[in-house]
Order: sequence, then C-alpha cells, then structure tokens
Amino acid sequence: MAGRLEHPGYDEEKLRIVSEQLPCREVQAGALLSLMGQPQQYCYPSLFIYGHRASGKSHVVNTLMKELELPHATVSCVECISAALLFEQVLLAFFGCDAASLLPRSPSLSDFVRIYRQQASQSPAEQTRYIVLEKAELLRDADANLLPALLRLQELVSIFLYSEIVWDKFRPNTGCFEPLLLHFPDYSKGELQQILSKDRHPSYSAEFYSSYVHILLGVFYAVCRDLRELRHLAALNFSKFCEPVAAGKAKETDAHKLWKNIEPHLKKAMQTVYLREVSSLQWEQMEEHDAGALRGLSAHTHVELPYYSKFLLIAAYLASYNPARTDKRFFVKHHGKIKKTNFLKKNEKTSNHLLGPKPFPLDRLLAIFYSVVDSRVAPTASIFSQRDMSVKFVLITCVNICFPLQIPEFKVAVFLFLCRFVLFTSFAL
Amino acid sequence: MSKRKVKDTHLPIGECITQVHHILRKRFCHQQLPDAPEGVEAQHRHLMELLKRSAVHGESNSVLIVGPRGAGKTMLLRSVLRELAEETEVQKNLLQVHLNGLLQTDDRVALKEITRQLHLENVVGDRVFGSFAENLAFLLDALRKGDRSSSRPVLFVLDEFDLFAHHKNQTLLYNLFDVSQSAQAPVAVVGLTCRLDVLELLEKRVKSRFSHRQIHLLSTLTFPQYSERVRAQLSLPDDFPDAKFAQQWNAAVTTLCEDKSVRDVLQRHFDSSKDFRSLHMLLMLCLSRVSVAKPTITAADFLDASRSCLADAKANMLHGLSILELCLIIAMKHLNDVYEGEPFNLQMVQNEFRKFLQRKTNSMYNFEPPVIMKAFEHLQQLELIQLADGSSAKTQREYRLMRLMLDHVQVMEALQKYPQCPTDVKQWAMSAFA
Amino acid sequence: SSELRFKLCLDLWNQIKTETEALQDELHRNILDSLLEFTRKCSSTRQHSDWASQMRASEIPTAALVLGVNVPDHDLTFQSLSELLRDSVTPHVASLQAKECGGNGFRLLIWSLNSTAQILMGTVVDDDEEEEEEVQQPGSRRHHSVLCSLQALCDWYSSKTKARPPRGGTPGKKRSSAAVDEQHRQPPVVIIFKDLEAFNPRVLQDFILICSRYVQRLPLMFIFGIATAPSTIRHMLPNSVSSLLCIELFQSLSCTQHLTTVIDKLILTSNFPFKLSGRVMQVLVSIFLYHDFSVRNFIKGLQVRISRFQALYVRRRILNFHQYACVQRSVKSQAGNTWNDDTLALCRAELVLTTVVFLRMLAKDELISLLQKCAEVLQPVKSKQMKNARVQLEELLAKFKQLDGENIQHEDNLTSPVKDLQKKTDLFQLQKTLLEMNESRRSKRRSPFELLRNEAVEFIDSLVKNHLSPPESKPLYEVCYYSSSATVRRHLNATPRTSIQAALGRPYNYIQNDSLKAEDGTVSNAAPDICIAYKLHLECGRLINLYDWLEAYSTVVSAAEDGDPDSDGFGKVDEVKHARFIRAVSELEFLGFIKATRKKTDHVARLTWGGC
Repeated sequence: MAGRLEHPGYDEEKLRIVSEQLPCREVQAGALLSLMGQPQQYCYPSLFIYGHRASGKSHVVNTLMKELELPHATVSCVECISAALLFEQVLLAFFGCDAASLLPRSPSLSDFVRIYRQQASQSPAEQTRYIVLEKAELLRDADANLLPALLRLQELVSIFLYSEIVWDKFRPNTGCFEPLLLHFPDYSKGELQQILSKDRHPSYSAEFYSSYVHILLGVFYAVCRDLRELRHLAALNFSKFCEPVAAGKAKETDAHKLWKNIEPHLKKAMQTVYLREVSSLQWEQMEEHDAGALRGLSAHTHVELPYYSKFLLIAAYLASYNPARTDKRFFVKHHGKIKKTNFLKKNEKTSNHLLGPKPFPLDRLLAIFYSVVDSRVAPTASIFSQRDMSVKFVLITCVNICFPLQIPEFKVAVFLFLCRFVLFTSFAL
Repeated sequence: MSKRKVKDTHLPIGECITQVHHILRKRFCHQQLPDAPEGVEAQHRHLMELLKRSAVHGESNSVLIVGPRGAGKTMLLRSVLRELAEETEVQKNLLQVHLNGLLQTDDRVALKEITRQLHLENVVGDRVFGSFAENLAFLLDALRKGDRSSSRPVLFVLDEFDLFAHHKNQTLLYNLFDVSQSAQAPVAVVGLTCRLDVLELLEKRVKSRFSHRQIHLLSTLTFPQYSERVRAQLSLPDDFPDAKFAQQWNAAVTTLCEDKSVRDVLQRHFDSSKDFRSLHMLLMLCLSRVSVAKPTITAADFLDASRSCLADAKANMLHGLSILELCLIIAMKHLNDVYEGEPFNLQMVQNEFRKFLQRKTNSMYNFEPPVIMKAFEHLQQLELIQLADGSSAKTQREYRLMRLMLDHVQVMEALQKYPQCPTDVKQWAMSAFA
Repeated sequence: SSELRFKLCLDLWNQIKTETEALQDELHRNILDSLLEFTRKCSSTRQHSDWASQMRASEIPTAALVLGVNVPDHDLTFQSLSELLRDSVTPHVASLQAKECGGNGFRLLIWSLNSTAQILMGTVVDDDEEEEEEVQQPGSRRHHSVLCSLQALCDWYSSKTKARPPRGGTPGKKRSSAAVDEQHRQPPVVIIFKDLEAFNPRVLQDFILICSRYVQRLPLMFIFGIATAPSTIRHMLPNSVSSLLCIELFQSLSCTQHLTTVIDKLILTSNFPFKLSGRVMQVLVSIFLYHDFSVRNFIKGLQVRISRFQALYVRRRILNFHQYACVQRSVKSQAGNTWNDDTLALCRAELVLTTVVFLRMLAKDELISLLQKCAEVLQPVKSKQMKNARVQLEELLAKFKQLDGENIQHEDNLTSPVKDLQKKTDLFQLQKTLLEMNESRRSKRRSPFELLRNEAVEFIDSLVKNHLSPPESKPLYEVCYYSSSATVRRHLNATPRTSIQAALGRPYNYIQNDSLKAEDGTVSNAAPDICIAYKLHLECGRLINLYDWLEAYSTVVSAAEDGDPDSDGFGKVDEVKHARFIRAVSELEFLGFIKATRKKTDHVARLTWGGC
C-alpha cells in the first residue's frame, strides 16, 4: 500500500486497520496523527478541520480515536441545544456518569472547568484527552464566550473542531486563541472511483461494479462531487445497469451494450440531482411509467385547492406583482383611457419578477378577489378561514404580525410555477 | 558525575526522535516557559518588583498588562510568578486567585470561584451577605484571622480583564480596586488584556481607584532577533540525553535558519505577525514532519508548513464546489461587477446564468430551477454568500437579498485551479460583459 | 312523544355515523395498508440487509404522506394510522403537531425532543406495567438532567429491547413465527409529523440532523403529513438534511373522489330513511367544492340537517310515531320499486356529472374521461332508452376526439398563448393574455371545445331530467326529503360580517320596533346610538375627524329628542350625548370598523369599505 500510516507509540496492527478504513485519506490521517504525536506527548491545543461535506472529516477523526483507543469525547453541536448538554456529554465520556452528575442544574463554564480540573487531578491522564466537536459552526450561536473559552482549555485537553465553514467566519471580535487549521480537500475523480468501488454488489464481480462507477462518474462528476450524493446515485441506478446482465441479454464484460442501456437513465437522473425526493423503489416505478418525461417528484406539484382558494391565491398573486395604481385599470370595467406610454414606469416592467412579491394589505386582496371571481360571493366566514389556511400552508405569508384590529399585510409565497399551474387548471387553458 | 554519564549515552535514533518531540512539543503546545525572559526583560523587572512588594511587604497594588494576542502576556506573568515562588518567604505568604473573564461570566460566579480558590467554602458555609463588598470583605477578613495580626497578601489575576468590565455595575472590579486602594488588606490585582482601550471601558468610580499602572507588551522585535528566536525555539537543551544527537540537531537547525528559502518564509511570517503563537504554529507543523525516517527539519518542511498556514481557506473551499455552484458564483461576480456591489437575489443570479446558457447551443448545464436552488442553498450554507442586512428571513427564499463574500481575484484564482474546468465557463468568467 | 322521536333521530344519526366511519376507514385502507407495509419492510430490511438497504443504512426511512388541503379530515386519518401502527407494527409511535411545538428556535427543538421522548416512553408505561422499572432507570441515573436527550431515548430503547424476554420461553403464549419475533425484538420508532408545513424549518432540520446520528442504534422512522405538495419537503430541507432521509411518497385519495364515494354509499342508497332534496345537496356540495374540500365538514353538515329535520317534526307535529313508521315502510317499498337498477346507475352517473356542472371550467381531458366513465356505467344496462342514451354519449365522445384532431390546426388560436405564458415570466404579458381570455368569454366567441362541452352538459342534463322525476312530485316526499336549503346555508356557511352590517344598517329587522321603520338606505333618528354612529361614518372618507363626527351625531340625536331645531340648545353637545357617542365609537372599534391612527390624534381610520 502506498500511504501506510506509521507512527511510533501506536500499535502497528491497529494502524494497519485504521489505514484500511480510510481509503484516500492517508495523507490527512497521517498529518493528523503526526500533529497528535504519541499518546503521552502533547498535541497542539486546538485543531480546526475544515472541508466540504463528505470529505471524511469526522470519519477520519472518529476512526483514529476509536481504533487507537484514545480518550476522547465526541459531541455534535447540533445536539447541544444548551451548553449544559455539551458539558455533560464531555464529562460523561471522560469520567463516567458520577462526574457528570456533579454538574449543578444550570452549569456555567466555570463549573465545568472546575469539575473537569478536579476530576482530571483525581485520575491524571497519561494520554492527551481529546474533545471532538462536530458542526462547530453552531458554537457561534451559543454563548459568545463558549468558543474562545473552549479554545483556551489548552492546558487540559486538545480540542478538535470541524466544520464546513472556514475559520475566518468564526473569529470573535476581540480575537481568541487561534487553532491550527487543517484542510481536508475534496476527493479527486480517481479517489472517488476508488471509494465508490468499495461498496460493490455481492452478486457481481468487483470489475463489473467498478466499471459501473466509472460510467457514473463520467456523467455526474462535472455537476456533483459530493460522495454522499454520488453514493445515493449509485445505489439508485445500479439495478438498471445490471438489468441486461440479469436478463441474460448481455455479459458483464459487454461494456458498450451496458453503457447504451444505462445512459438515458443517468441523463434523466441529472435533472433531479441533489433533490433527493425519491427512493430507489419509487424511482424504478417512475421509470416504468413514463420513460419519456421524468422529472422527479417535483413534477407532482399538483395541489388540489377548493375553488375560492384558487381565486384567493390568484388574487394574492396579482396583488403582489402589480403596482397598486394599476388596479383600477385592470379590475374596474370602465376605467377610462390611460395613455399607454406613461402608464408604466420603466423599471416596473422588467424587474418585478426578479425582485419578488411586494406586500399588500388585506383590503386589496379581497377587492381583487371579488373582482376576479365571476359570480357574486358572500363574504362568509369560510372565505376568511381559507385565507388563514393559505397562510398556514405557506402559500401566502403574513408580513406583519396581525394585531387584532390592524389590517394585516400579506405576500404571496408560492412559486410562480405553482400559481401558473393553478391558473391553467382552473381556466382550462 | 551524572552529567558525564549522560554525555556518553547513545540512544537509538527512535528514542532520540521521541525525546525531540517530547521537548519541543512542550514548548510549542504546552507553552513551557523559557529559562529567561526574552525581549521583555524591562517589563519582567517592573512586574517582578511590583509583585514582590505586595508579596513580601504586604503593599497593595494594581496593574494592567496590555498587549496583543499571543504577545506573551501570560508567559510574562507566569515567569514572574515562577521566580517569585522560588523565594521561601513569598511561597508561604502569598495567596493566588486566578480568574478568567471567559469562565467567570458574572460576579456571582467569580465570587464563588474566589471563595473556592482561597479554600474558604467551609468558613462561609450558608452565610448570607447583604452586598458584594460585604462578602469580599468577609473573605479577606477570614484570611487574617487564622494567621498573624497582619493578613496574608492575595494576588488576583484577572485574565481577559476587559470582559470583567462588562459585568453589571463592574462590582467585582470596583471592590477589588477599592480594597487595593484603601489598604484594608494587602491585595495585588493584575489584569491581562489585549484591548489597548481597556481604561475607556471602566466606569468613573472604578477608574479612579485604579493605580493606572500599565505594562505594555508591544513587540519591538527586529527580524534578526526573530530568526534568532526561531533558532532558539528549535534547539535542543544541553541536558538532552544523547549529546551527540543534540549537537547534530542544533547544528542542522542553525544552518536551516540561514537557508535562503527559510529566511524568506520567516520574513513573510515576521511581516504578518511577530507573536509567539503564530510562530509556534508554524514550528509545530514543521516538527510534525520529523520522524525516524526523516530525523531533521528541512527547508521544504518550512515551505510546506508556511503554505498550509497562509493558505486561503476560501480558495480551498472553492476548489471542491460543483460546476453548477461555480457557475452561480461567476454569475454573482458578474452581477457584482455590473451593479457595483449591490446585493442580489437568486432570481437575478438565475437570470444571469440563463443568459450564459442561451448563448450556447448544446448545454449540459440545463438544470431545473429546484436544482439551482439547492446549489444556491449550499453556497449559503458554506457562507460564501450571506444575507444582506436589510433582507428579512421572512422573505421567500428566491428573493432574499444576498452578498457574495468573495472578491474578484479569489474567484478568478479558484477558476484557474479548478480541476477540469470547462473552457466556456472560464471564458464566461473572464468576459467583462456578462 | 318527542323523546321517542329524539331517540329515533339519534339512532339514525349513530347509524349514519358508524357507516361513514367504516366507509372512511375503507377508503383509507389502501394508503394505510401501503404505509404499514412500508414500515414493516423498513424494519425488516434493517435486520436482514441486502445490498440496496446496506447502501441506505445511514438514511432514515421516511414516508411523505400527501393528504390534500382538507385539514379537518386529517386528524381521523392520523388517528387510525397510529392505531394501526401500534396494533400491528410497533408500540413506539409518537405524533408531533406544530402548534404543540409552538414558538421559535431552540426552545421548540427542546420541546419536540422532549415530547417525542416523553410520548414514546410514556406509551410503554401505559402499555405494560412490568416494564416501568426499566423506563425509570435511565431517568433516575441522571435525575438532575432536565433535558431529555435522544441519547436517553436511545438508552431506554436498548434497555427495553434487551429486557424483553424471548417470546418462545413464555408459557401460555402462542409461539409466533420467527419473522414476527424478530420484528418485535427491534420494533421501529415511528415519529409522525402531522402538519409538516407548519413546522419551523430550522427546528425540523436540526431535529433530523440529531436523529440521524442515532439511526444506527435506534431504528427511527418518520412520517410527514403534507397538505399541499411533496415539493414542500424540498423547500423546507436543504440538501444536507434531505440526503439523510430515504423518502417514499404516498398519495391519498383525492378528496373529490372521496366525497363521491361517500355520497354514493351513504346518501344515494335506500338504507336510510333520510334523503336530501336537490337544492340542499347543491348547497352541501358547493360548500365542499368552493370552500374547504373537507369530507368531515360535509358529514357535519349532514348532521345539522338531521337535527333540523327532527326539530321540524317536533314543531309541526304532523305525524306521530306510528304513522311515521308506517309511512317509512311504504316509502321503502316504493323506493324499491321506482329506484330500479338502471336509475341507480344513472344516478351515479349524474353524481359524477354534477361535478361537471358545478365546475363548468373543467379541463378537456378530465371531461372526456368522465364521459367515458358514464358510457361504461351505461354499458350493462338493457332498457332501450338507456341504450339510446349510450349511443348519443358515444357520439359526443367521438366529437371530442375529433376536436382533438382539429385542435392541432387551431393551435395558433388556443395553445400558443399558453405556451408563451409558460415561457415568459413577464407579468404584463400574462395579464394581457388573461384579459384577452376574459374578453373572449364575454363576447361569446367560444372555442369549439367550449361549445361542445356545453352541448354535452345539456345532453346529460336532459337525460337525467327525463329519467329521474324530481322527488317533490312523489307523494309524502317530505317524510324522507329535507329541502330547506336556506337554513342549511345559514348554519354552515355563516356570513358574520354581513349580519353585523345588516343589523347596524337596518335595526328594524332585529329590534322589530315600528318607530325604526324607515325607507331604504336611511336610518331613523331614534335608532340605537351605534347605528347612528355607523351610518354617519359610512359617509366619511378614510380618516374621520372625531369632532365632526360628534357634531353630526349630536345633531341627529337632538332631532330624535324632538328638540326645536331653532332653539339655541339644539345640536349642542352635552355630557350625556358625549358619553353616548364615545360608547358608540368604542363599540364600533371593537367590531373592527375603525381604529385609532398615529398620524392624527383626533382622527380615526376607517377600516371597511363598500356595501359588503
């Protein structure tokens, strides 16, 4: 193997296992290991690892920690809705639940550090302890002191942070102890090929699967380099790929035939890359149904709306995108002649759909609604409840908080295509 | 005798390397104190004198150590304290209380911590105090009773001093300074801060009780001194078990520091910052490459380490984007150029992107709007684009106004480095008119 | 004997109710079954994994259940869903509702985590008490910890699944098959999000992120209840979150179909001695179609009808119970005679087509498919007339098809503007075309399709009229038919605003005092204060000067007190009038007609316009 991990102070057998589990990340794992040093040596107090999603950040660190049996506490910052949870989890991981129960009800950082010191002096560490914080960007939302304080825990413990966001965005106003930055670069095409080929289907040969991965990457690499997404795509389309082989129409080596078979499917999958709206089973079903125009579940934008709701929506749409002064012209039967030339200001014409909907008051919505609906509609309670329902479904958003007697303002929130869809279906265009 | 014995030992190379790591890591990662103050001798003397007077003669005092991050404030204080501790009289006399503005976020917590560090929890018990001042006075009083007629001096170290100024009414600071001025009990207050304007933060009544003694740590290091420090930091001490190895190592370090490329690297670092910590980071990266197979630090290590220290993280992130995301960034760049930095929304970006696609006959980037939306979201998640100030989160996602957090040069550089970048995209990025 | 009648009515209602519930269950059976199948499959593949599920081992299986906008109906669905899940798949089912997790940000997250954990742990305590000890264990170990974390849930789950003794050992219980046993040992934990749209996206994302960290240890499963469209998921979750889910879509029956079945099975049968006249039916259906799409509300409407029906009898005392029973029997036999098979079939067809009539704007494809359905219904009928009808229907269909062919030529006319619309995002273009369409409709330049559609509708109409004589023509129809559509409308589709305005504008109608009688549009001087104030404010502009208003009010009131218009005191504001005026104004403010403005302190803003 090219990049074997070697480092004094660790069991070689374990290192071998580790490097087997970390394909294409030997360089990073090696760098990390050499920064950590031998278990008894000091590690740099804080390390900030950044890189794209699915570039192996947590995988490398976790594998190293687990396989080499280093004392560590892995905490995901999403889960720590309060700092208390973070403290609890760290103490729990290092010293067991007795230490965690020493924390007072709403612990401050001071309490945490005190208990940590006390516990650490009771069971002095021969090895460096590591606190591993996933999704470190969320620490910024917590108490402003938390991140700088954690970075200053240096004398006690080494902190590993990882995030998809660069460190520059973390630095507090007055600065703090700077961590050592380590970048995990994205995988190259060759590396992706190597990694994806690892999860081969048990009933097919490794070469067969690897050729499949090759084709897959050929199509998707340009638009998608996310390992997780590629793996999803691989799982999604594989059954289609091996269909001719399973049916006995082609041999595993019949590369050209297989390519011809899979190509249109992959092209179609391009349309829905990243959307993740469909699982493999339904994907296949959809392919069977309409091989022609496949557009994922996003095509299912069909919303059944009651008759008046449709009109409410349309009215809301018109109110959002038309300037209020044009209402008279559009909705009053005998509005008189307005000169066309200065009817529209120039900027209004082009940028309305670029700038998004404008808020409008309830009066206007209802006025347009009544003029759009052909028949006379009584202002019944149901109409108002429909308005509230639309707000609830995020079709329309309420811009200001409605005080009981204030005129609420709204904005249309549905996407244009949905509006159009409603228009076309209700008028049989 | 022992020294002779050490000199003769020959350790296997692996053992030597382990020792090197052990010693140097202690310096870089654990901030082991140097044997003597370097470059801050005057400040050292000043502080030493002050604290000695408090510790030995029971004089009250207050002082602020001000200096940028990583300038060695803590190191200065610690080395002074270490020196003080060597004197037996100080050792049995002086009490120390260490507080940190990051940890003791309010005065109640701070007071608790003071009680704890003075080992007075039992004395205080369940007693209830009327005011903060009363409580503090009680604590200091308690120290007096057990001992002689005169009380023991207490040294208060306030790290991140500026944060204490944000506490309500600055009660702690007021009381500490008050005690130190009115000589109720011998108290020395040492504040460490990186804010030069820290005095402006203090309330009038607090400020008037402060001695206005400040020790500034503004580095006046010259480059030769800087490179000498690098050499010293990398050198092994005389008591290294294997003297021969140490000699070789030190010689190698000396030649290394004179190497042209290393000097260039150091010059660049010197120009950007002179502090200890960034230097330690650089040296740590070099040290991490030392192994049995490669038992010395080479110039190439320095180059690599400096590269990874100075790397533009955003450029690194741009490298991993998909083509679609890159295209969106280019579209945003064009919008920025055309509208002179006005914020934009997704619709505009999409429009710009569409214009690019329309000029081409066969396009493989014909994505559905939802897919583009996802790419846009991803960029936002990476914080390469951010919400413009005025745009509320309530606005629909396509119409939220955003700003690009990259500049022209960064985008263009990223394009050059991007693997397998299609030429038409490159040309589009280069073209002045989108 | 009104009591007896009441009981009878209650029985009837209960009968209808159970019937509808059974029917609803039946209708949901399909989708619920497939959901159950999905959960079962997910939990079993987790244990015996093949390649495909291995690839997805780190994803949380998620069912997106698209239910339509008829929110009132959802509760029932979710209730039966969770019951079914508890019965046959797993005891661990928790449902979350957005309004329970109200508020913003992290607190909500805590809440949802807590409530999930509590619901899950709670159910099991209720389930069997012997397990209580284990449930308490994780809690007591870290008793001080206020927050229930997913970690705790995980511990609880593993302790619970481990503690469960192997089924085979227990005496007295039937030995279940291996597969079932396996499933019981690792039952999935199902979390139902009843109304996905209403959740705060940020919280939902965090929740999913947290859950996905535990998916290896805790067999989690989500069910998203979606009211609008599946694309909601895409809008709410960014790719980084949605890639943690393995989503499968389940679409419930469309609610029109649902209603059709309900009407078909409940109302158009001879099982119940209770019928609706055409107009009442129309009211009910139009409420359904125009307003809420809610089958539950429809049933509610039916209930109102029945109670009114009963009340009517109490008031009129036309028939006593014996007669009633007697008549009922006769009607039943009568119904048996007249409603022979083909009329029933036609009836069904009519029902399908009432929808057409109501929604005259139905698209072409749908209309054609409906007509085809009609033809199919008529297929097995033997009578001559019916055959005739079928032939005509088929002719119509043929015409439609022919039209399709013509349409290709007419594409310029019809389809191209639509295509244009789809391409161009220009709002004004869109509006122009819309206006054109409107005009074309007004000027009766109907497209051939529209003409044909009308023809078809008329044909069906006449067909139905021929074959189905209105029930009013039958003797004793009022025994079974309920026909007061106005009351129904009043009860179900209230118009609160109109009634308030009517009360204020024409107080006579409410107070029935002769002195208040006045010509149209005016209010007598003697009307209550609030009516006068209201009337006066109608004449004002957007901002009303309070002092002017007071002056006007005082003049009107003085006139009512028969003061001498020429005297000095006439129209003077005294304290009593002032107070009365203030009360009237504040009442108007309370009713939402005016509000105070910040622009001018002595003015109030008017909030309502026009006559409605």
